[in-house]
Amino acid sequence: MDRRKFLKQSSLASSLFFVPSFVKAFEQVASSTLGYKRLVIIQLSGGNDGLNTVIPFENDLYYKERPSLSIAKSNVLKLTDEVGLHPSLEPLNRLYDKGLLTIINNVGYPNPNRSHFRSMDIWQTAVDANEYSQSGWIGRFLDYYGDAPYSAIEINENLSLAMKGETKNAIATQNAKSLYNLSRDPYFKSLQKHKNDAHLSEHNLGYLYKSMIEANSSAKYIYETSKTVNSQKEYPNNKFAKQLKTAAQFINSHLKTKVYYASLDGFDTHVNQLPVQNRLLKQYAEGIEAFVNDLKAGGTFNDTLILTFSEFGRRVKQNANIGTDHGTANNLFIIGNQLKKPGIYNKAANLSDLDANGDLKFEIDFRTVYATVLNKWLEVNDEKVLKKSFKQLSFI
Amino acid sequence: MIQKHVQHLYNRLGFGILPKQLKELSKKSKEEIVDNLLDDSKKITPLEVDISELKAAFKNMIMMGNPDKDTRQKLQKISRQKQLDLNIAWVERLTNPTELLREKMTLFWANHFVCRDNNIVFIQNFNNTLRKHALGDFRNFVKAVSKEAAMTKYLNTKQNKKQKPNENFARELMELFTLGVGNYTENDIKESARAFTGYGHNFVGEFVFKQRQHDDGVKRFLGQSGNFKGDDIVDIILEQKQCAKYICEKIYAYFVNDVLNNHHISEMAEVFYKDYNIENLMRHIFMSDWFYNKEHIGSKIKSPIEFVVGIKTLVPIQFKNAKQQIYLQRLLGQTLLNPPNVAGWKGGKSWIDSNTIALRLKLPSLLLNSAYISKARKGELDVGIEKKKQFYKKNYGKRFNVVCDWEYFKKQFDEVEVNDLQSYVLACPISSNAKAYLNTLNKISKQEYCIQLMSLPEYQMC
Repeated sequence: MDRRKFLKQSSLASSLFFVPSFVKAFEQVASSTLGYKRLVIIQLSGGNDGLNTVIPFENDLYYKERPSLSIAKSNVLKLTDEVGLHPSLEPLNRLYDKGLLTIINNVGYPNPNRSHFRSMDIWQTAVDANEYSQSGWIGRFLDYYGDAPYSAIEINENLSLAMKGETKNAIATQNAKSLYNLSRDPYFKSLQKHKNDAHLSEHNLGYLYKSMIEANSSAKYIYETSKTVNSQKEYPNNKFAKQLKTAAQFINSHLKTKVYYASLDGFDTHVNQLPVQNRLLKQYAEGIEAFVNDLKAGGTFNDTLILTFSEFGRRVKQNANIGTDHGTANNLFIIGNQLKKPGIYNKAANLSDLDANGDLKFEIDFRTVYATVLNKWLEVNDEKVLKKSFKQLSFI
Repeated sequence: MIQKHVQHLYNRLGFGILPKQLKELSKKSKEEIVDNLLDDSKKITPLEVDISELKAAFKNMIMMGNPDKDTRQKLQKISRQKQLDLNIAWVERLTNPTELLREKMTLFWANHFVCRDNNIVFIQNFNNTLRKHALGDFRNFVKAVSKEAAMTKYLNTKQNKKQKPNENFARELMELFTLGVGNYTENDIKESARAFTGYGHNFVGEFVFKQRQHDDGVKRFLGQSGNFKGDDIVDIILEQKQCAKYICEKIYAYFVNDVLNNHHISEMAEVFYKDYNIENLMRHIFMSDWFYNKEHIGSKIKSPIEFVVGIKTLVPIQFKNAKQQIYLQRLLGQTLLNPPNVAGWKGGKSWIDSNTIALRLKLPSLLLNSAYISKARKGELDVGIEKKKQFYKKNYGKRFNVVCDWEYFKKQFDEVEVNDLQSYVLACPISSNAKAYLNTLNKISKQEYCIQLMSLPEYQMC
């Protein structure tokens, strides 16, 4: 070995061994969080009426089927010559204009189920409509690719099935501090101090000890990492916006979390739909805009992709109560600034070719969207997670 | 019967046992104890909340047809409230059962014949059907479940018509309720779905068979053919030994160990296949030697309901706000009457995630001791403990508003030495590390020591 090479190697070695640990920690953060891609999933619970969200304002059938529930052409925020957004979605319209939004139309699955519980279950577990799964798709992502419970965080008090895997689970928190407080009684700390490996290997009891230690260290990590960041942005004053604010705080503090999950409830508009959907879409769009601005300010928007879905759309024809009943296919929003195809991804649903219930026939299987996000955004093997091979789409 | 084994038996077929009863029972033989348990469960006490108003309204609908919108909304609101009442009544029943084994079995079956609905009349009927057949003839049980209004809604049997079959119930009947996946073909599903056509119910939830929607033709199913009806399909399924095996596996995983032992399971299946009598099967398990093997004792993770009812069995608790009980179930991941899907809760390790383990460890102190766990060292007193408790309660203990009856606990444990408490509170041996830590602490009182024990991961085992 020549002298130069020796010096080089030994200095490399020494730099590994003698650098103070805080510097090493800093380096780790710097290198591993650059280009650290993360996914934010927004669930609109109750079945958002997609036809009144992305409105086919040139389609006579739309107005014919919804005499007192349609959005007048003059009020639609026009995106193309054919479709436009609900007037409450002005903030989303701005994202669209900046090329930060892709709308995928007519997303669903074969043999659609019109029960909220079951359809949400299908979306969360990503299995065929005649299968049942006890693990969710993000949970299975964690099974294969998760490092710690905080690899996926649900901004909620408890976990949805989507976030539970076969062997690993995400962590749920609305408030990092109260979760940390719950797990950090000195009594539990002392039990952890006494841990040894033989004990941890014991089947079920060992699993409990391991989970206790993980819970405490995850809660601590989330709390201590995120408390350094405070949002300067104004958010609307509602529960949904609060979830997004928490998510933004986590993201901007560079938590090593790949997936965030938040939800907005109340879209089950059987009766008197107009004011309810107005309010909810407004909450959604205003919250999202504040969230995007917050991430931009934190320099994390480039590496964040936001996916919004609902368990089903609603029937084309309005019902007798100026509302809509449970339907099938729906539109889905992708927000980010790495979009390959910003704007309208595919043609709006065909309103003259409906199924026997008078519902839309889906065109794009939602699992092709998942597969694309897993493969192209999170850069993992989507087939492993979804337990099946699905076509890749080209929106990212 | 030795004390440890009585305890194990009661942990599995109940929710724990208190010292006084344990002492009494330990004087008896295994046969006597098991016989008594089964005798005590002969009776069936339906679980009922007052739904007379709804029942009357639904009866009225049979004659008058669908009511107007306002009435419907009003009824739905009452139904939702009554569902909460039924949930709470069920937890109450589990805490103070007269038919202990029947109630535990009902809880088991509710996660086997998984069903949910938003009509309280149907839910309550379904729940009591589980209770009625919990220790009976599995054959009648499956047939009864297939005709329950809640089930025909949940798995779409009521949409299953001759002209347009719906396979959902037929598929899950085999996959989840009787045979397990891979023991039938897609064609068996199609053919059996035809046999279940015409199933429906009236407004009060009674089974209605709609002859005109029933497919009377010949069906080929699991190698047999005939003009089968739904009940015939159940009979043919039960002819398969696999059915007995499948049910025994689930019962073994629930009552014995979630690591299956094929030898024990085939032994059980032999017993069960003879007559599909559930009581006989349970007697066989509890009378066997292997049920009391060391590797089974304290080897299971309690379900959230077992955990909460277990706490209440030790120290009675009244929730001042009933809704908090349901909130607590949600946080722990098991809301009764509200399963995630027809596959039910997976159980075992999957009860545990970061959130649930943190809450489970903290819950005994939260509910019973102002969120306080004493850390006073050996030879020291916990100075100012009451003040500390006030502080903890104010800061951490406000989530649940409860009244607990420590006097009851003290009475039950009055003959137990504080040093022996562990063997009554914990089902599994205490790990050496936890033991080492506890040895550094002072056993200030039975109450404080009990809280320390209940705050160990070991307390999560049964």
